[in-house]
Amino acid sequence: MDVLNNVLIVIGEIMVAVGAVADLIASTGMNRFPNFFVRLHAATVGTIWGAFVPLIGASLISIGADFLGPYRYFAAGGAVVTAVLVLILAPAGSHALARAAHRSRAARVFPKVVDHLEEDRGGSDA
Amino acid sequence: MPSYETFVMGVLAILGLVSMVAAILAILERDLVKAVIFSAIQSTAYAFMYYLLMAPDIALVYIPVAIGLYPAVVLFLIKKTERYEGD
Amino acid sequence: MGAEEQVTMFIMAVFPIYMAAFILYAVRAVKGPTIPDMVLAIDAMTFDLAAFLVVLSIFFKSPILIPVAIVLALWIYALDIYVAKYLEAREMGE
Repeated sequence: MDVLNNVLIVIGEIMVAVGAVADLIASTGMNRFPNFFVRLHAATVGTIWGAFVPLIGASLISIGADFLGPYRYFAAGGAVVTAVLVLILAPAGSHALARAAHRSRAARVFPKVVDHLEEDRGGSDA
Repeated sequence: MPSYETFVMGVLAILGLVSMVAAILAILERDLVKAVIFSAIQSTAYAFMYYLLMAPDIALVYIPVAIGLYPAVVLFLIKKTERYEGD
Repeated sequence: MGAEEQVTMFIMAVFPIYMAAFILYAVRAVKGPTIPDMVLAIDAMTFDLAAFLVVLSIFFKSPILIPVAIVLALWIYALDIYVAKYLEAREMGE
């Protein structure tokens, strides 16, 4: 039982560390990318690899951690519920935001080769 | 090895600086939609501060009001009136 | 070295990486040239903050702090939808 708890803790720590590194990469990309539609890629890295993976890792840590007392299963369940919510809500939110930004021309597609969606909608070069 | 309270106090100092910058920008901004988003940054920093001060009940009430309802009501109001502050 | 001390040391080591990421996200959220940029930066920052709050509740050894993360992840999605509705249809609510 003790060996199993240690294995769970080590796997969870690896997942939290992967999430931290992915967060740093995503925030660097959020500052370095040229326009809004390229920054969506950094946001996806930051929410799936940077939030979903460490949440699953935190739930594994709290299952294996004996020192948290009898409430540790509550912590593990809450972490899994938060992970599923992030997995559903983050792509839906960023998709809605990107669709609104492209339709309302709030963000320009500046360094671009071609924009077929804009041409289909009738606007030539807005 | 730095102690437990050192981390909490350092993070509280960083969050206080970030929320102060966001509040000043929200006051000075002429575009009111950007001002709403600056105040959302300030609300997020305050939610993290309530969490670090071990007040989860206050944070559970503060988050829906300050991140959920307040930007919704103010955006609705901006749409009914005008977006840029008069000059 | 016991499991408790190991987990505490690990979270202390991972702490500055998360704080650096939050500060970089906040820089983009403050200076973003257009409104969708700012909303996207604060959106990603808040989902990462929800993950970090769960990790911190293990660090503080108080699992009763978990529901704050669920509420934060739910309501920042509402902010996304409000701003998207404002930008797109100029018609909010139903």
